[in-house]
Amino acid sequence: MKAARFDYHCAGSVAEACQALASHEDARLIAGGQTLVPMMAMRLARPALLVDIARLSELRTIEAHGGELVTGACVRQAQAERDPLVRAHAPLLARALPFVGHAPTRNRGTLGGSIANADPAAEIPLVLVTLSGSVDVRQGDVSAQVAASDLFEGPMMTLLAPTACITAVRFPVWEQQRIGTGFVEVSARQSDYAYVCAAAQVALDADGTVLRCALGIGGATAVPTRLSDVAQALTGRSVTLELARAALAPAIAALDIMVDAHASRDYRRRVALRFAEQALMAACADATAQAAGARS
Amino acid sequence: MSAPSSFRYISKPRRVVEDRRFVVGKGHYAGDISAEGMLHVALVASTHPAARIISIDASAALALPGVHKVLTGAEFAEGCEPLMNGLETPAVKRYPLAVGATRYMGEWIAAVVADTRAIAEDAAELVEVTYEPLPFVIGAEEAYDPASPPVHPGHGSNVLLDKTFHWGPVEEDFARSEHQLKYRVVWGRNATVPIETFAVLASWDPWRNVMDVWASIQMPKFADQIARALRLPMTSVRVHQDVDVGGSYGVKRGIKHTVLVAHLARLLNRPVRLIEDRLENMRGGDMHGPDRIFDVELAFNGDGVINAMKMRALDNVGAYAGRAPFQLGKPIGAIVGPYKINSVRYQAIAVTSNKAVEEAVRGFGQAPTNYAIETGVDLVAEKLGLDRIELRRRNFIRADEFPYLIPSGTSYDSGDYHAVVDKVLAHAGYAELITERDRLRAEGMLAGIGVASCLEPSGGNSSFEPLLNEKNTTTTWMESVRINVDALGTVTAAIHTTSSGQGHETLVSTVVGEVLQIDPDKIQVVRPDSIASLPGNSPVGSRMAIMMGGAAFHAAGKLKAKLFKIAAHIFGCAPEALTYESGVVSGAGHTLSWMELVTICHRHFHQLPADTEPGLEATHVFQVPTGVALPKDGRVQMYPCHSFEFHLVLVVIDPIIGKPELRRYVIGHDCGTVINPHIVKGMTLGGIAHGIGAALLEEFVYDEQGQMMSQSFMDYLLPSSHEVPHVEIVHHCTPSPFTVFGQKGSGESGYLGAPAAVSGAINDALRPLGIRMSKLPIRISALSDAVAAATDANQV
Repeated sequence: MKAARFDYHCAGSVAEACQALASHEDARLIAGGQTLVPMMAMRLARPALLVDIARLSELRTIEAHGGELVTGACVRQAQAERDPLVRAHAPLLARALPFVGHAPTRNRGTLGGSIANADPAAEIPLVLVTLSGSVDVRQGDVSAQVAASDLFEGPMMTLLAPTACITAVRFPVWEQQRIGTGFVEVSARQSDYAYVCAAAQVALDADGTVLRCALGIGGATAVPTRLSDVAQALTGRSVTLELARAALAPAIAALDIMVDAHASRDYRRRVALRFAEQALMAACADATAQAAGARS
Repeated sequence: MSAPSSFRYISKPRRVVEDRRFVVGKGHYAGDISAEGMLHVALVASTHPAARIISIDASAALALPGVHKVLTGAEFAEGCEPLMNGLETPAVKRYPLAVGATRYMGEWIAAVVADTRAIAEDAAELVEVTYEPLPFVIGAEEAYDPASPPVHPGHGSNVLLDKTFHWGPVEEDFARSEHQLKYRVVWGRNATVPIETFAVLASWDPWRNVMDVWASIQMPKFADQIARALRLPMTSVRVHQDVDVGGSYGVKRGIKHTVLVAHLARLLNRPVRLIEDRLENMRGGDMHGPDRIFDVELAFNGDGVINAMKMRALDNVGAYAGRAPFQLGKPIGAIVGPYKINSVRYQAIAVTSNKAVEEAVRGFGQAPTNYAIETGVDLVAEKLGLDRIELRRRNFIRADEFPYLIPSGTSYDSGDYHAVVDKVLAHAGYAELITERDRLRAEGMLAGIGVASCLEPSGGNSSFEPLLNEKNTTTTWMESVRINVDALGTVTAAIHTTSSGQGHETLVSTVVGEVLQIDPDKIQVVRPDSIASLPGNSPVGSRMAIMMGGAAFHAAGKLKAKLFKIAAHIFGCAPEALTYESGVVSGAGHTLSWMELVTICHRHFHQLPADTEPGLEATHVFQVPTGVALPKDGRVQMYPCHSFEFHLVLVVIDPIIGKPELRRYVIGHDCGTVINPHIVKGMTLGGIAHGIGAALLEEFVYDEQGQMMSQSFMDYLLPSSHEVPHVEIVHHCTPSPFTVFGQKGSGESGYLGAPAAVSGAINDALRPLGIRMSKLPIRISALSDAVAAATDANQV
């Protein structure tokens, strides 16, 4: 388990990193390295050149402005987990982060790295898709913004070119007062790859009516799936389990569910339905509890 | 034998000697040792489950700077002997590297030696092997079919062993029983999977004629096997036993690794080291455990008394023979568990297949057998509508019936199974546990209680060898301890094996300290190398508390007898008139202190009795208690001692999610007199964790193409602290009459019953649905899918 030979370049700026990436056909970015390094050790990944962006301070900021929480791509997952801005402005991300890997991998792993890796079971991409966030991308001298709904193309695949570098991650900030979140997942062991996970964020008015709703499923589908129709159907309503189930059943039944050696297609579909319900109900309960001043 | 309360050091919660260095990170492992000019090995692994090796082109690999050698199996076989084979199957030859053909995916085809491990891996990728794929067989039943492609064509079939034993009037007992049932259970292939993979460094000194070996080894007769394979005298193989071993529980056999590396060291005249990486270890390290299908029939009365059992155990030992088939033999010594089953028919079948080679794993086949028996006991209770614990009580051997001779020829030493069960039920609050289960069920959860009552045969004999292989007439399975008191009066005990976490330094210093009444912390325990060692058989079969403890006890007794002889001579009295207190010998109005006695032994020859050697040293080579006879009529006394464990588990499962949560775990444990409570506790907790892994998570999976699907910790899932619940241990002590302090073994405790208990709890949870899971590990998705199917069927 020794990596094949590679060159290493520690980038001094994003521009330099992009230049280095373009300089070699088999160049790859490394940030936290929590997926890439084991893959290299098993020689399943064999980049010729590693371009390290983990130390770029310009990629490690967390700010809230313009209705968005904007984090640098190289913000460590553990840093985001503890950050008060994340907690206040992207509560669903804060809720999901403890499910990402283990504490030691979160100390190294980055938000942008997890998104670029595009594992269908990963929590951060699910949150990004659920909240309709986006990423800032730099390629050469060109910067662009890519919506989460366009970003993920399949398991471990994004539409980003090999020479592109995610520089920032944007999560929309909800302006409502009573926002609640729910996140559930199942894996063989705690911290393993999720067979299924579900994320929900809702905003309620004083009467418990849904003002805004976002709901997504991960692990079960090739890319994280935002259940927009369900969110739409529940908006303006007071959510009950029956109502949620009625809206979710046809939506989950219509999904193209994955199968692998760990879990059957039927299993993932059943659990997706159960988890979507659970995440939604938990989010509503969380929002309701906040009105009583008991934010969890 | 003294009563436990009278011990000074034994059974006391004293610090474990070894823990101190491990806790501060100062363990000294084979991987910590390096030698000047050392070279490194990487392996070329087979990509086919079965193929003829047409050619191996190493030219590109050899052209890489820093590469010294690419060794093939054919070249190795020219200069060395095949590895040991426990059965009389001469056509099943095993070498460290595949010779002529490969028989499993991951098998080592060639060894690359280079300046660094990284260069060796680079070069290994450049070795071009041309294969001609051959037909292969993966499943055990398929391999047992005479039409299957033989893994070793010279052997003629895949059957290595197929032996049926009849113990008692089985057919008559079946005929007279009111009820019968039959079932199949399957034990998935798992292992102990230590974090430290196998590591070995070998260095050849042609001027001294010595092959020095440092290895992370737990292996009986290791030096013997190296010497035979390399055609060296045993005096030329020096295994350094003073290395720490980072986990084993059976699997650190490493004979093929060591023979390979030692051969390379001799060939290249350079020290050579191999530290397996995880992939080499998991797919080609020959460290998988039993892989077994049980078909069982039970015959029983309406009151639940089980009269007879027919068991067919079909084990898939993988591509080569080794010692693995003997794992079908050891359970014969506890084939009826803790129950008074009158007669048994046992068919033991070992087949080869195109999977990796099976090795010894914790319990040496007993845990799967216990799982098979306990599943059946639960089924009998279910069929009769009896409480599972009451049913066990009705079948248990009673405390007043020991020693108890079971049909297969082993006499159980002692036990009080009813008392242990009563203690556990009282501790756990069994009635409340049932109430809790039923409350959970009423909430819509699947909830179940699992029980398992199992034996841990201990004392590590090898009686299964002559039982399964008549040409093998081994009855000796000794362990040795030598004690030396130096001229300054301090005590050193020498043990003659490596340790892989069993705490032998604590064991021996405690026992010697107890006998000599010396603070055990002042006793040094050392491990001479194998050339300087007395005979021993390493820590296998839960034997060391009994065997090394026994040897230490007797050696210390001999030392004390010498002191008495000297004092009696000086005092002019009979030795019987003397007393001993903390090293001071008194009698006839005189007293000699420890230092005075030591000085007489070391400096005052003139004071010694006439026929007495100077110095103060004693040695004892200890044979297994009860290990006196060869098998007769298919019956044998297997191990001397039998520890007992009773598991009680509450599991709760969301019917949709299917993930079992162990909400309560209680174990009652009786291993006789405990030498060190911390060590026993650690082994029991570790064994339960391993058993939970076997029940729910761990399996070496092969797909239909013969490719191994669980080669790393991404797919081979070990339970973590999240998956292992808090375990409550309830102690009981029934001393063994066959051991010096009443101790029994505990090295395999927990693991021997946990899989049965966890499986039993899940099946109790599923019972209302009319389904059961009969293959381990029980996977989340499979469990949920079975529940969904049963729910759909029930609604129709």
